[in-house]
Amino acid sequence: MVQYNFKKITVVPNGKDFIDIILSRTQRQTPTVVHKGYAISRLRQFYMRKVKYTQQNFHEKLSTIIDEFPRLDDIHPFYGDLLHVLYNKDHYKLALGQINTARNLIGKIAKDYVKLLKYGDSLYRCKCLKVAALGRMCTVIKRIAPSLAYLEQIRQHMARLPSIDPNTRTVLICGYPNVGKSSFINKITRADVDVQPYAFTTKSLFVGHTDYKYLRYQVIDTPGILDRPFEDRNIIEMCSITALAHLRAAVLFFLDISGSCGYSIAQQAALFHSIKSLFMNKPLIIVCNKTDLQPLEGISEEDMKLIMEMKAEAMKTLIGQGGEATSDQGVLLTMSTLTEDGVIAVKNAACERLLDQRVELKMKSKKINDCLNRFHVAIPKPRDQKERPHSIPQAVLEAKAKQAAEKEKRKTERDLEDENGGAGVYSASLKKNYMLANDEWKEDVMPEIIDGHNVYDFIDPDILQRLEELEQEEGLRQAEEADDDFEMDGRELTPEEQQALAEIWKKKSLLIQQHRVKKSTAESRPIVPRKFDKERQFTTGRMGRQLSALGLDPALAINRARSRSRGRKRERSAERGANDGGDIMDMDVDTPNKKQRLRSLSRSRSKSRPPGEIVPGEGFKDSYQKVKAVKLAKKSTKKRNKDARRGEADRVIPTLKPKHLFSGKRSIGKTQRR
Amino acid sequence: MPQGDYIELHRKRHGFRLDHFERKRKKEAREVHKRSEYAQKALGIKGKMFAKKRYAEKALMKKTLAMHEESSTRRKVDDDVHEGAVPAYLLDRENTTRAKVLSNTIKQKRKEKAGKWEVPLPKVRPVAEDEMFKVIRTGKRKTKQWKRMVTKATFVGPGFTRKPPKYERFIRPSGLRFTKAHVTHPELKCTFNLEIIGVKKNPNGPMYTSLGVITKGSVIEVNVSELGLVTPAGKVVWGKYAQVTNNPENDGCINAVLLV
Repeated sequence: MVQYNFKKITVVPNGKDFIDIILSRTQRQTPTVVHKGYAISRLRQFYMRKVKYTQQNFHEKLSTIIDEFPRLDDIHPFYGDLLHVLYNKDHYKLALGQINTARNLIGKIAKDYVKLLKYGDSLYRCKCLKVAALGRMCTVIKRIAPSLAYLEQIRQHMARLPSIDPNTRTVLICGYPNVGKSSFINKITRADVDVQPYAFTTKSLFVGHTDYKYLRYQVIDTPGILDRPFEDRNIIEMCSITALAHLRAAVLFFLDISGSCGYSIAQQAALFHSIKSLFMNKPLIIVCNKTDLQPLEGISEEDMKLIMEMKAEAMKTLIGQGGEATSDQGVLLTMSTLTEDGVIAVKNAACERLLDQRVELKMKSKKINDCLNRFHVAIPKPRDQKERPHSIPQAVLEAKAKQAAEKEKRKTERDLEDENGGAGVYSASLKKNYMLANDEWKEDVMPEIIDGHNVYDFIDPDILQRLEELEQEEGLRQAEEADDDFEMDGRELTPEEQQALAEIWKKKSLLIQQHRVKKSTAESRPIVPRKFDKERQFTTGRMGRQLSALGLDPALAINRARSRSRGRKRERSAERGANDGGDIMDMDVDTPNKKQRLRSLSRSRSKSRPPGEIVPGEGFKDSYQKVKAVKLAKKSTKKRNKDARRGEADRVIPTLKPKHLFSGKRSIGKTQRR
Repeated sequence: MPQGDYIELHRKRHGFRLDHFERKRKKEAREVHKRSEYAQKALGIKGKMFAKKRYAEKALMKKTLAMHEESSTRRKVDDDVHEGAVPAYLLDRENTTRAKVLSNTIKQKRKEKAGKWEVPLPKVRPVAEDEMFKVIRTGKRKTKQWKRMVTKATFVGPGFTRKPPKYERFIRPSGLRFTKAHVTHPELKCTFNLEIIGVKKNPNGPMYTSLGVITKGSVIEVNVSELGLVTPAGKVVWGKYAQVTNNPENDGCINAVLLV
C-alpha cells in the first residue's frame, strides 16, 4: 500500500553488534549444560539445536530488514523518485540484495552443518562442528557489515523526510531561488522555514498545512530551480523537479518582478518555459512577488510582454480544466510578503482552483455516483414571497455593546504592569485586595515562627473571645479561691500564719504540678514506686529540714510519717478519719478548677490547644469522639508501659535466621563466612 | 533533506542553555568513573567481553603513545651482514661451489618416484582403525560385524557408483563426502576454493588412500586452473598437490596448503 511514513522501520544494527546480539541470545535461550557421558543422540541434539537456533535468529532479523525497507517500485512514484534522487536506487537495491544473499548463505551453512552433526560420535567433534557453524555464519555477517551500516544511514535519513501525502490537496510553490517562496509559506502556514538573503537557503522540500473552506491543504515549499539542462541538475534541484513531476497539485510559480533576487524577469520567464511541460493538467497561477519594491504597472515593455506570455500559458491550463475562459483574476496575481499585501488572496485563489479541479475530476469518475445517491439537500418550500430576515432584540444588542465597552474599560493587572515599567520592574502587590478589619494592616509582614513554635498552631479565630472567657473564669476562680481559703479554717489567721499558709500552699501546688507532670508522662514510662527510691530522696530528715526552713516545727510531721511508714495498711483505715483535717500531704483530687488555675499561674511551659479541641484536619466528628479516641490510644499502651514490656514502636526482628543470608552460592568469590 | 534537526535549529535561534558547557564537561569527566565501575561490576560473559574490548583499546592506546614518543635519537647502527659475506681470514681464498645442477623437472620426477615431498606437515598423529571406522552390525540378528562405516571426510570422485549394498564392506556416507577444498597458496597468502581431483596419499596407510579418506596430513590433488599457472614451457598447469592442514570431520571443511 502507499506508504509515505518511513518512521516505522526498525533500527538496523551494525555488524559487530548484530553478531553479539544473536550469539548472546543463543547462549541464553538454549540449554547450556552438557557432559561427556550423555548418550550420543542427546549430545547431537544439543548442538544441533544451537546451530538451528542461531540460524533462525539470523533469518528472522535479516527478513525484517528486507521486508521493512520500502521497495522503490511499490511505493508512490513521487517517493520512489525522491528516494532515487537522494540515495542511488542501484546502491540501495544492491545493499538489500546483499542482505538477501547473506540470509540464504546462512541457511545453507546451517543445513550443511546439521547434516554433518549427525555423524558426530564424540562431544568434542560435535562441539567443534557447532563452533565452526556459528563462526561461518558470523563471518557472513561480518562481510555484509558495510551494507548494514549503509542501510542504517538510509533509514535514519528516511525517517526524517517530511511526511508529504501524495494524494491529498497540495499546493506547490516553485520559482527561482530567493524570490520569496519560503516567506510565503511562513506567512500562510505555521512552517518555520529559514529565510535568508542568500540563494539556496531552502535545500529540501518543506511542508506546511493551511485551511481553506474547512479543508486542509498541504503547502509544499521547494528549493529554487535554476535554468539548466536536465542532466546538469544537482540533487537539491532534482528534489523540486520530482515534486513537480509526480504530485497532482496546484502550482504557484513565483516571479520576482523587482529583480532583487539577482535574476531578471527574462531569466525567470526562460525557466518557466523550460519547465512548463511539468505543469500539464495542474492549475497554474503566476504570482508576482515583491510588489512593495516594484509595482507590476511600473515594469518595462519587454518584461510585461514576457509576463503576458506566461499568463497565456497559464490560461491554457485553465481552459483545459473547467471551461471558464473568461475569468483571468485567478491566473496572474501580485502580492508582497513583506507588507502581507495580497498574500491571502493568492492562497485563496490557489485553493479555490485546486478544489474546483478536484471536484470536477471526482464528478467525472465513476465512484461519485454511489455518493451522489446518498446526498439530498432539503430546502423548505417558501409558502409566500414575504421576506423574513433575522431579528435580534434591541436589549440584547445594547447589552453586547455594553459588555464590549466594559471589557475595554476595566484595567487589568497586566495593564498596570505594563504602565509601571514592565515585568522585571514592577511587582504586583498581591495583598491589595485583602479584607481586613483595619486597612492599615494590609501590607504587614506576618511572622511564621516565634521562639521555635509555629505561629499557626496557636492561631485561633475566636482567640479574643476565648481570652475574655478565660479572664472571666479567672476572676471567678480567684474569688472562689479567696472563699476557699476562708472556708478551710473557719477562724481568722494571724498575718504570720497567713504567710506561712500561703507558702505552704505554694509549695504544695508546686509539688502537685510536679506530680502531675510526672503522671502525664508516667503513662509512657513505668512508675518506680517509692519503695525503690534509690537516691534516698524522700527521707524524713529532708522533710524536717524543709519544714524548719519554713519556720515550722517538724517533729509532729516526722512522727506521723514514721508511724505511717511502719504499719501502713492496717493503720490507714483507722487514721483516715483523723486525717481529713489539716492534711497537707495528701494528694488532691483532680478538679477542673485547680487544673485551670495551675495553668494560668504557671508560666514554665506554654500550652497550645486543649486536648479535646478538634482541629478541622484531623477527621473527628466532635470533641467527645476525639477525647475518646485519645483515651483508647493511651489505655492500650498503659499496661504495657507499666510492665516495661516491648511495645509497637520497639524494634522487632521477625526472623533470626533468614534463609537468604544463610544459604545460596555466590556468583563470584567463596562462601567461607556468612 | 532530512528535517529532524530541531535541536540544531533551536540552538541556532536561542543559543545554548546557560549551564550547558559546564554540564557537558562534568558529564564527560564522570564517564571515566562510570566506566571503571561497570568494568569492576560486570560478571560472567559480559565482563569477559568488556574486558577484551578494553584490552584492545589499551593496546591501541599504548601503540599510539609510543608512536608519538618516538624521537629522533641517534643510535649505534649495526651494519647488516651481506649475503655471502666472508670473514676477514677467508678473504683471500677462492671459494668453490659444489653444486650439482640438475633441471627442475628431473628433480620433481625423482621425488615423485620416491614418494616423498617437502611438505608443511611432515609428521601427523596416527589415526587408529577403530577411530577411522565404525562397526556396523547387519544380519537378521545383528550379529554380523563385517561392515565398516568411515567416520572421517572422504572423496569419491565424480564417476563413483556404490557396490551393491549387500557386498559393500566400507560405507562412505554421502554426508561426509567433500568435493571442494580451501587451498592456500603459501607465497601469495590467499585462499581459493578449489575442486579436489583425487586423494594422492593418506599417511595412515595405502588402504585409506584407496578408499579416499581425507585426514589431517593427507596429500590431495586439486584443480588449479583458476589460478592460471603456466609452466616455463608454456603449458597450462591445471592440477597441483596440496596437503590438508586441519581435521575435516571436526570443522566441516577441508583446509589445505598448496605444495609449490
